[in-house]
Amino acid sequence: MRGLLSGIAALSLLVACGGASGGGAPATKTGEDIILGAPLSLTGSSSKEGALAKQGYDMWLTWINQQGGINVKGVKHKVQIKYADDQSKSDISAQLTQSLITDQKVQFLLGPYGSGPTAADAVIAEKNSIPMVEGNGAAQAIFSKGYKYTFGVLSPANKYLQGVLDLAATLSPKPSTIAMLAADDSFSQEVAAAVNDYAPTKGFTVVYSQKYPNGSTDVSSLVAAAKAKSPDMVLNSGHLAEAIAINKAAKDLQLNAKLFAYSVGPSTPDFVNALGKDSYYVMDGSQWTPQVKYKPSFYLSVADYVAAYRSQFNSQDDPDYHVAESTAACLALQKAIENAGTVTNADKVRDALAALDVMTFFGEIKFDGRGVNVTKPMVVEQIQTDGKHHTVYPADVADKPAQYPTPAWSQR
Amino acid sequence: MSEAAFSTQPSRAGRRVRRLILVVFLVAVAVVLVLPLTLTQPAADANLDPETLGIDFAINKSIVRTETTIAMFVALAAAWNLIGGLTGYAAFGNVAFFGLGAYTVGFLTDKQHLSFALALPLAPVGAAAFAGLIGLPLLRLRGHYFAIATLGTGIAVGEVIKNIDAFGGGTGLFPPILRHADALFFYLMAANAGLAVLVTWLVLRSRFGYGLIAIRENEEAASVLGVNTTAYKVGAFALAAALTGLAGGIFAQWSSFIDQESVFPVQYNVQMILMAILGGAGTLFGPVAGAIALEWLILALAGGGTSSVYAQIGLGVLLAVTVIFVPRGVVDFFGGSSRLSLGYFRRSLRETSV
Amino acid sequence: MSLLVQQLILGLMLGGVYVAVAIGFSLVWGILNIVNLAHGALVVVGMYATWYLFTHLGLDPFLTLPVDAAVLFLVGYALQRGVINRVIRAPLFFTLLLTFGINLVLINLFLLWFKADFRSVTTAYSGAGLDVGSITIPYIRLAALGIALLLAGAVGYLMNRTRTGFAIQAVGADKDAAQLVGIDLRHVYALTFAVGAACAGVAGGLLSTIQAISPTAGEPYTLQAFVVVILGGLGRVSATVVGGLLFGLIEVLAQSQVPGLGAGWSNAIAFAVLVLVLVLRPQGLLGRPA
Repeated sequence: MRGLLSGIAALSLLVACGGASGGGAPATKTGEDIILGAPLSLTGSSSKEGALAKQGYDMWLTWINQQGGINVKGVKHKVQIKYADDQSKSDISAQLTQSLITDQKVQFLLGPYGSGPTAADAVIAEKNSIPMVEGNGAAQAIFSKGYKYTFGVLSPANKYLQGVLDLAATLSPKPSTIAMLAADDSFSQEVAAAVNDYAPTKGFTVVYSQKYPNGSTDVSSLVAAAKAKSPDMVLNSGHLAEAIAINKAAKDLQLNAKLFAYSVGPSTPDFVNALGKDSYYVMDGSQWTPQVKYKPSFYLSVADYVAAYRSQFNSQDDPDYHVAESTAACLALQKAIENAGTVTNADKVRDALAALDVMTFFGEIKFDGRGVNVTKPMVVEQIQTDGKHHTVYPADVADKPAQYPTPAWSQR
Repeated sequence: MSEAAFSTQPSRAGRRVRRLILVVFLVAVAVVLVLPLTLTQPAADANLDPETLGIDFAINKSIVRTETTIAMFVALAAAWNLIGGLTGYAAFGNVAFFGLGAYTVGFLTDKQHLSFALALPLAPVGAAAFAGLIGLPLLRLRGHYFAIATLGTGIAVGEVIKNIDAFGGGTGLFPPILRHADALFFYLMAANAGLAVLVTWLVLRSRFGYGLIAIRENEEAASVLGVNTTAYKVGAFALAAALTGLAGGIFAQWSSFIDQESVFPVQYNVQMILMAILGGAGTLFGPVAGAIALEWLILALAGGGTSSVYAQIGLGVLLAVTVIFVPRGVVDFFGGSSRLSLGYFRRSLRETSV
Repeated sequence: MSLLVQQLILGLMLGGVYVAVAIGFSLVWGILNIVNLAHGALVVVGMYATWYLFTHLGLDPFLTLPVDAAVLFLVGYALQRGVINRVIRAPLFFTLLLTFGINLVLINLFLLWFKADFRSVTTAYSGAGLDVGSITIPYIRLAALGIALLLAGAVGYLMNRTRTGFAIQAVGADKDAAQLVGIDLRHVYALTFAVGAACAGVAGGLLSTIQAISPTAGEPYTLQAFVVVILGGLGRVSATVVGGLLFGLIEVLAQSQVPGLGAGWSNAIAFAVLVLVLVLRPQGLLGRPA
């Protein structure tokens, strides 16, 4: 194995020298495949989201191999992604990550779905000094431990509902009170804590703030208690099942807030399918929508990305942000490898990631000292009465104004 | 006469087989124990080529990780055996002790910045103390009630901890990463497993052990004969808790990340029980064999996507088959006088069917 | 004050759901001494059955309930007769393990057939409710409570006024004596389990109108059924009704009225109740002492 790698290193060097002295010769040499590892929730409680993440990874994989591979100093290397199903469990994810590194000889890692598995896998990445770029674990706790090898392209958890609050501050009649319902997992709690901190700065008061067990299906007593405080806005940070439950309970109990915003759920097709018309007017803080207007420096434009998604997966739906953020993780890794000019020196790629600053269809990707992408803003989208998702904030990417206030249930 | 199949006196052929199996087993264990030493420990300041280092290092890491997980389950199954197999009190919530041990180490190393060496001994202590505390009321229950009460406790402990922010709340705890320590963790887990087996062996030969078995066979009679059933039961429970908690403590540092979901998984309860029963509840090596076989299988099948779903179905079917056809466990064939045959299965079936 | 009343009403309606789920569970436990860890999965079968009939045949969910009962009756009979009957005479926790295994198999079969998608049964009248001042009483939940009580009544009638019921009770009291008087044990066992499963099916049908359906949606209900049965006691339908309603009230009130205790503690509360009752009064509120 050692011999083979030095052989490749020598070959690459030769090619590079040959290319430099030759001058003008096109980079058509093909090198060894680059192997990436991706532990993902293909089954288990997060399998829906895991499937979306896989779509995101596959979209980039198809495109990069169509281009001939990642360009490392003039030599193109095609890419393979080895997937492993971690069943949405963090200890299995860690085991599989190690196995991907040791047995499958992956050279870099793409992140799993969910903050728990991401935290567990970050440890493995750190222990093995293998860079991991992830797009699906937003809890900041992962990035506060001084890990050097994990990078997250998505905006951190505390930003998820800030955009909604910013938008709400511009609406008229301006809402003033908030009911915050949050699941008790780390991601949701960070979102909620950020809301509690940020709301007063915008002139809002949080009149009700409660956490509930992750995955709860009956939240009616919470919703009843929230209703008693007559909140203008009902915010939730949690997951798909709970978003559905809260919306249903709000209708059952006639909780008529002016604005409903959930952190996870409304962006997925399942939400609309499960609730039908009851899903209208609901907003969510989104990492990305098809209406953003970023001009990428490489890879596809936003419009092309949407078209490519529809054709690759034979679907009428737009890609939701879980897909986009996963593709973005691949893009960051690709750029870093290209900038570092090496595939075999993991530390150089890690440094290239730390220094990365690039604009993509997903937004700007630039990591701070902890490995978090703080440069990309969240957008707010809303399911409007035409049954479609529209971006409503910030103004420069919005394609429709927000439909506000939400009419009472009995009037819909 | 047909009861001869279930007599506990091994035949001469049975004894020879038993000795052979034991030898093979010990050789395998020796190999497994020595293998991790081949993991090179690169000096942090060595100016060695990173790729070279990475490859040499990585060759055994995954195997060592697998071995460590298997050793962990050997300890869990053997520990459960003390309360479930020997004493006959089927605890369905031992994962609570695992989680408590893990959180003890996690809390002390992450939030209190204690070293792992100092924190680890407190894991079994805390778990055993908790077991002693709730054991007193819980062990007054029998049968289903005891099983459910322990199941409930197992879940409740995890929930309570998750709600306490000082213990990490929903986020979890992050013990500082110990690098280049994969072999160390394997040896720690293996030592814990060995300790569990040793303790079982000692218990089986002691008055304490006879008392426990007496409680299992007929608790009223045991009490009448002078066995302090409460003290013995709580003792077994606490002992099982200590060994389980120790495994949890090692796990916490090994994975450097724990949260309620990862260290209080309800499925672990069933896994450790199935391992003990599949191997042979109440025996010395039964849980060991069951744990090795089952965990190896589970790990081998992980990662495949839809195959994990089939693997779970297989696990469920295995549970059913074990309970129906092989209730005494596989160890019954090795050295017991039972021979692997269709007749054995038919007899097992008839014994328990309505 | 009106919030308290609202919570009380919600608690009762939640209790109604618990009663529906726990009736079958209690029957199987009380008569067969089987704690069915797959009960939640059987409820989910009912959920999917109703969903299927609702989406593909347009049947109103409340009309699908008899179908759910029939389907689960057959499934339950087959399970008991074919599988669980084989370990009846084994140590108790063997049946626990067996039913856990059945649970695993069922959940993963759901995953294979239905994927992890969330499905929903949303009728035109969902969300409609009775408004009394600031209190809302959703019609669907009210209906669910009513049907749960009817179900309990039906099971009670079966057990106490029919020959089948007498046979079942006889088997529960002393299976060997029952066999001696000519009762076919295997059949009655299977019948009992089938009735329990049918109740689970009805409960699933009711639940599908209230919450999202997914392969693991039944898990919490198995554990909650434990608490209900322990709280109320074994042996009588009325005990389960009392236990279910009371538990619903306890959950809702504990979360909303006790300061510092939020919904995050709901499972912990459930099990605190469980353990307390087991230790202080193991036969439950209305059960017969062991």
